[in-house]
Amino acid sequence: MQHFVLEQALNYLIDQGKADLGALNDKTLYFSLEDLPLDVNFVCTNERIFVTTDTSAGADVDIKLKSSVFLALFQGEDLTELLRQDKIIIHGDVKTAQLLVDLLQQIDIDFEEILSKYTGDIVAHQVGKLAKNFKASNNPLETIKNEITTLFVAPSESVLFKNKGS
Amino acid sequence: MEKTTHFGFKDVATDDKQGLVRGVFDSVASKYDLMNDVLSFGAHRLWKRYTIASSNVKAGDKVLDIAGGTGDLAIEFRKKVGDSGQVILSDINAAMLDEGRKNLINNGIFGVEFVQLNAQKIPFADNTFDCVSIAFGLRNVTDKDQALAEMHRILKPGGCLLILEFSKTDSELLKKFYDFYSFNVMPKLGGIIADDEDSYQYLAESIRKHPDQETLKSMVLDAGFGFCEYHNLSGGIVALHKGIKV
Repeated sequence: MQHFVLEQALNYLIDQGKADLGALNDKTLYFSLEDLPLDVNFVCTNERIFVTTDTSAGADVDIKLKSSVFLALFQGEDLTELLRQDKIIIHGDVKTAQLLVDLLQQIDIDFEEILSKYTGDIVAHQVGKLAKNFKASNNPLETIKNEITTLFVAPSESVLFKNKGS
Repeated sequence: MEKTTHFGFKDVATDDKQGLVRGVFDSVASKYDLMNDVLSFGAHRLWKRYTIASSNVKAGDKVLDIAGGTGDLAIEFRKKVGDSGQVILSDINAAMLDEGRKNLINNGIFGVEFVQLNAQKIPFADNTFDCVSIAFGLRNVTDKDQALAEMHRILKPGGCLLILEFSKTDSELLKKFYDFYSFNVMPKLGGIIADDEDSYQYLAESIRKHPDQETLKSMVLDAGFGFCEYHNLSGGIVALHKGIKV
């Protein structure tokens, strides 16, 4: 059902003329999260996008990433930078992947809400907070190290648990 | 040896099924919408609304609604495609098409075309439509594989097939209730409201003979569709299969 929301949002953008499907036409992009059971094909055809859970057929481009990176990506994180850091794996044409990511970044959709259907609301929200923190930092690696340390030393101070219940 | 097929739980000659199904719908046509509302507690309107939302149909599209009966889907498709698009409401049964025509006029919907056709031999050229839909009709088709192949043929590449149909629920509790309701309540209501208990007995039986979700998905893919997925509605009592021609 979550991919239905995604499909509706993407096609609304296309219908409103806010997104051009031209270069993506007749391409199928496989998108999967490594740590959550979410994998879909974006089938771009006939001037619209179908988001389908039928992933049995081959795709032109495979995109694999973790849920935290997924959220960071849609909060504006640069795809090239994530690729450079090996946080996202792409098999196929990177430019085509970039076009899809550009499209996804334009839609006004709560990706935490989408992930929450797979993980439970709290976990999704925590992953989201981590992703936001990751994005805001000038030194993502250092941020993650600090966050792990905080989790072990003073869990209540971690971004994952701060303000929980507020 | 004569080929046979099922008509509800009965085995009948393959050539006879079409006429028998026509008899059912000739009988129930005038009370069809009322019966749908009563038997599904109005849920059929929600199932159809979800089907329309899933269609991705847009202004200018060409849509064929097969077994479209009283025109519920055609009305909504017409609103979506606008004047630049085309919606064809089709049914094998003339009585159902007549009800559809009346229903569209009563709803102030104009511009929909009506065609009486057999889903196994669709009289349209290859690659014509952006969307083909069939709601609660496929289980009545004698040769479903042939019908699916025809739907694939007339869709454009990138076109979408929507099959809304009764299916199988996984919930044992729901299944027990549903079986009791289907075989004990539905035919009786059919007798009281539409004065036709037998047709609603057939409805219950034909649902049980229809392929389950996974089997129908395989049939859609075998017909040539590149992708097919389904969504269970109301616990799997109904499923929407969506095929994409690539």
